[in-house]
Amino acid sequence: MICYTCNEAVKGPVCVGCTALQPPPFSLDPFVLLGVPRRYHLAAAQVDEAYRTVARRVHPDKFAARPAVERRMSLQWTAALNEARRVLKDPDRRARMLATGQAEPREKGGPKLDPTFLAEIFEWREQDEETPGALSELAREREAELRVELDTIFVAWEQGTGDLTLVEDRLARLKYVTGLIREPSAPGS
Amino acid sequence: MANIGIDLGTTNSLVAVVMSGKARCLLDETANPLLPSAVRYEPDGTVVVGRAARDEAAAHPERTFTSVKRFMGRAPAECKADAALFRYTMDESEERFVRFSVPGREPVTPVEVSAEVLKVLRARAIECLFGEPGGAVITVPAYFDDAQRQATKDAARIAGLEVLRLLNEPTAAAIAYGLDKRETGTFAVYDLGGGTFDVSILELNDGIFQVLATAGDTHLGGDDFDRALGEHVLAKAGLDRRGDADHRELLLAVEAAKRQLTDAEQATVSIGGAAVTVTRAEFDALIRPTVERTGAACRQALGDAKLTADKIDAVVLVGGSTRVPLVRTYVGELFGRVPYTDLDPDQVVALGAAMQADILTGSSQLSDDLLLLDVIPLSLGLEVMGGVVEKFIPRCSTIPFSQSQTFTTHVDNQTALDLHIVQGDRELARDNRSLGRFKLSGLPRLPAGIPRIRVEFLVDADGILTVHAKEEHTGIEARTEVKPSYGLSEDEIERMLEDSIDHAETDVDVRLLIEARVEADGILTAVQKALSVDVALLLPGEQAVIDAVASALQTAMTAEDRKRIADLSHKLDEVTAPFAQRRIERDLTLALSGRDAGEVGKQLGLKDRTATGEKA
Repeated sequence: MICYTCNEAVKGPVCVGCTALQPPPFSLDPFVLLGVPRRYHLAAAQVDEAYRTVARRVHPDKFAARPAVERRMSLQWTAALNEARRVLKDPDRRARMLATGQAEPREKGGPKLDPTFLAEIFEWREQDEETPGALSELAREREAELRVELDTIFVAWEQGTGDLTLVEDRLARLKYVTGLIREPSAPGS
Repeated sequence: MANIGIDLGTTNSLVAVVMSGKARCLLDETANPLLPSAVRYEPDGTVVVGRAARDEAAAHPERTFTSVKRFMGRAPAECKADAALFRYTMDESEERFVRFSVPGREPVTPVEVSAEVLKVLRARAIECLFGEPGGAVITVPAYFDDAQRQATKDAARIAGLEVLRLLNEPTAAAIAYGLDKRETGTFAVYDLGGGTFDVSILELNDGIFQVLATAGDTHLGGDDFDRALGEHVLAKAGLDRRGDADHRELLLAVEAAKRQLTDAEQATVSIGGAAVTVTRAEFDALIRPTVERTGAACRQALGDAKLTADKIDAVVLVGGSTRVPLVRTYVGELFGRVPYTDLDPDQVVALGAAMQADILTGSSQLSDDLLLLDVIPLSLGLEVMGGVVEKFIPRCSTIPFSQSQTFTTHVDNQTALDLHIVQGDRELARDNRSLGRFKLSGLPRLPAGIPRIRVEFLVDADGILTVHAKEEHTGIEARTEVKPSYGLSEDEIERMLEDSIDHAETDVDVRLLIEARVEADGILTAVQKALSVDVALLLPGEQAVIDAVASALQTAMTAEDRKRIADLSHKLDEVTAPFAQRRIERDLTLALSGRDAGEVGKQLGLKDRTATGEKA
């Protein structure tokens, strides 16, 4: 990139030549913004550490005495940075970002769920009517299984084998079952 | 130019500045840092601010305003109870913002009243710093919503202050404590002021203050203790709720008793000829419900920070109301540790604000290693079908924060879209606070569902929201017309600014007077000097005329009449002109008799350039 004030080539957020803050990158990829490896297995502490390093350079507090254009850029930078941290510290958003390039589901409510999966849930509900609490119990078990499955998918992917095609569906299922855990037991029981 | 930090409090306000690396509060002429946030509007148009206004409130109840912070950025419908408590008459004709009636004067808004307090603090800063402050960091309760923050900014603008940043009060206190003690770890700041309560959980790590969560109540504070005690005293004395003046008197009396009960086991309130004794135990019982209301907010903040009380390394007490022994005990039990009270709870917020103001100069020693990351206190959302809220920015998100949402149209050729933005954490829009309605107009005529209108919501570092919208297919920028639900419009602020410029004429007059005196002083000095060396050049009687005008000017300089000073200065110039002319002629004669032209030029008071020109 070329600095917009002094035309020097710049690498970081701030021009080394004239100390002007550069605009945030057009693609707000959270991994790129924070400068952390594109991995699912990413410690929260590593994200925080990277966040602090960049925030120190771009935060509006550092530009309060600078021209309006830099203050504006600093606001955009830090807003993007805060969003990037929020995405990368949440395992589900992080997984979706790696699989689809977006932190939130592409369609409202996520992709269509598999009919056999929904049929299974229907069975759980019936069980719950007989044994109250069965639904959330089963949902909890399935949640754990799905997390293990996601973990396995990403371990393989990070080693260069396997792909992420199933991730979006598994995240949708995960969202569905965690919703079931919070659901109160069948009425009348 | 130094930046200043201002704590605009419900009861008292302060201004502080960092000098030689240390933050200190600026004092008034009696060496007191506290300016009571009380304003009285006199019938002749003058405004009395501070201690005098507060202490004489009972004599002028209908034209004195205290605790106006409770009314900032709120709608009249929301604060009827508060207005009744303070016996203020609200102007009923206005729905969007509060306006108090003042006898014989235009009604005033809480923003204008606050601006009067800020003007006094600004004047104090000018006096102490020998000049206009650079910019100001003004503190607000962390739990202030968008409209309340905007109102605070408006007040500062009217007072002629450049707002560098709005800073959350508990965060300001944490800065003051953290930097003083060089602490690392997790803090809880419990800030109970006159009218507001905040609790914030912060983490200090490697020079970065990260606010993890904040919660509070913008209508809970020491005022509520006073009210409870006042009602108790009236009941015990067998007195009825009476007139305004008596009410003010009662409030002052119970406030004094409350202070006494901090150290004493009992206090006596004299009211209406009766003397009522209140014990500490009685007082504690009266205020316990209010104090316990703070516990819910503390638990919410801990929950949002995903922490339990035992994970908190230190608890800091802020705000005058934390002097109340029951509050201290309660906070100690709640967090299971003795709270810090090393710094003056009245001053700590202003000190922190001054430090942040210093950091924002960009040249402070602190700015290299310190960074503050604050959060938005309440979720922001949009009203969608059925009056339900769809949150787009969750509470306790680190600010600045931006979020984009894409909308589309519901009918063919729809050219406008209405968005209703609310702030709060309730499920239904009507249970939250309405921030504003945004009308996006000028959309391209397209079939329903085709336009993709991308709306960007941006919360800046002050916690204030702005909205931008764009239709993505055509690139047409939809105009966003923001109609704030509550608060003053840009036009209204402009008008108030103009009003304040009218008042600023006095300031201009003062400056012109000073300039006239300086000029007169210069002329007098020059004339005296000329007379002392060249008395021989005077004509008979000339000295008497010059002396008469000079002494008249000297007298005029001690008075305030700028025009008279200017006129006499001019007159003195006139009567000394022939004498001055003779001196110039004499010097020229000397020069022609062989002296260097440059030196003559100097004697004549000509610039060197001209003199050299003559030589060339």
